[in-house]
Amino acid sequence: MTPEQLPAGFAELEPYLEWALPTETQRNQRRVRSAQADVEAFANAILPRAEDIARLVDATPEPLPPSVENLFLMLLSLAEVAPAIESYGQPTVIDGYDSARFVADETHILRPSR
Amino acid sequence: MSTSPSSVRPMPFHERYPDLGTGPLPASPYLDPAYFEKEKENLFKKVWLHVGRVDEIPKKGDFFVKDLAACDASVIVVRADGGQVKAFHNVCSHRLNKVIYEERGRVRKFFCKFHGWAYDLDGRLSGVPDRDSFGELDESTLGLAEVACDVWEGFIFINMQPKPDMTLQEFMKPMFGGLEGYPFHKFTACYTWNTVVNANWKVALDAFQETYHVGFVHGRSIADSLSQTDDGYLHPLDGLCGEFHRRLSIAGNPASVYGNPGAVAGQDNTQSATGDGKRPIAATALRLGQGGTALSFSKDELPSGLNWTRHPDWAFDINVVFPEFYLSLRPTYYQAYNFRPISHNQTLFEARVYYPEMQTAGGRFYQEFMKVALRDVLLEDMGTLEHTQAAAQTRAKQWMVIQDHEIMVRHNAVVVDRMVESA
Repeated sequence: MTPEQLPAGFAELEPYLEWALPTETQRNQRRVRSAQADVEAFANAILPRAEDIARLVDATPEPLPPSVENLFLMLLSLAEVAPAIESYGQPTVIDGYDSARFVADETHILRPSR
Repeated sequence: MSTSPSSVRPMPFHERYPDLGTGPLPASPYLDPAYFEKEKENLFKKVWLHVGRVDEIPKKGDFFVKDLAACDASVIVVRADGGQVKAFHNVCSHRLNKVIYEERGRVRKFFCKFHGWAYDLDGRLSGVPDRDSFGELDESTLGLAEVACDVWEGFIFINMQPKPDMTLQEFMKPMFGGLEGYPFHKFTACYTWNTVVNANWKVALDAFQETYHVGFVHGRSIADSLSQTDDGYLHPLDGLCGEFHRRLSIAGNPASVYGNPGAVAGQDNTQSATGDGKRPIAATALRLGQGGTALSFSKDELPSGLNWTRHPDWAFDINVVFPEFYLSLRPTYYQAYNFRPISHNQTLFEARVYYPEMQTAGGRFYQEFMKVALRDVLLEDMGTLEHTQAAAQTRAKQWMVIQDHEIMVRHNAVVVDRMVESA
């Protein structure tokens, strides 16, 4: 990751840039391999900025510059970690099937591009 | 059948469908390799099977390949020359190689990679390299072997019988005619997951066609989004058992987030859905999702076959298209699952969920939240399957006991057995 990875005004999210991942599979892998404390720290940092991120993305013409794209992908990671925080209290699904075996088809023709 | 203890108490569903019986169900159909062989021959090779949607092959020459272990078949489904959807066995007429190795793609013709035999999109043999060295050859008889194929509401079905006993329309109409007109075409954002799970296909499907498990398997996630009885159990609004198919209608808890249509349906119920403050990410997703799509979704525009009890708190209907296509319809999205048998204790589970395309970042965040929540709920459901199969395979028990609200499990077992034993 190089500097100016995030737009101005979002510097406090720079410690969490590794959550800027382009696919569901990568976001889920990061979630299930993280400590719960790290998952919660990320969510606590980004949740208060979620509305700002959504507004900035909508105001930025496509294709998004990498810094805004990073923010958007981090917002999608917030969705990825939500169950770990609001349902399970741990990164993985309690008594759940291994998510690595439940493979998302990232190339399906009707799948949104991100 | 002997009378099980559970049939002593009132069982309204079972009284409505007396032909299904009331006793315990035998375990062997879920465990026995010989039973699976009979299912393949007498059931899977004789019924319509869902293989995909027309949206997956929008243009001429678009194709996908489905390997159907229960039919001992690999089938090419293609958008043919006239725009029609056709299906062919993926077997070259020359030395019987697979004509297509890829899962999907677009072609002008099918070329066998072994010796270059070519077939047009209607399956006709159109090219034979070094033709003269074959001597006598009647090309008109050497096309790809066609598989019966038809479309219902955009869903492509195939049938391994050269001349199916009934048309797809005859198969679908009696139970699902009332679903025609559901806005399947509006749901163009599809997420899909696949896995091979070590469980019988009926064990896998059965885990999705009753609500009894919800309070236990989904107690941490979505149980509170469904309507519960005064003593805390989840009972369906109604259920319908047909000659082949079955349906189950489920009520929701309007004061919950998951499955709440507010964000895209334009109803501002954010407050009631998230008032407890215990799930701030869910609340944010619902709030930011408001107005995420320009499409309109209203319960009033749905066909009459949905929410057939007209319950005000209706959340969704489960429709099981016999034998293994699970189609769950809601006002703002739908789920389409297939439980494709591989062996007596292995199933290819293909899970798909279809949402509307989102135009805003907040809408896309909401959709990701809903999708991830659904995926994790599926991981909860699937968490039981391999344990169930392994425990059942010990043969410590020969029977399973069924309560009234599990009648869909019974219906599945009875209809399968009727076909298996019919030949």
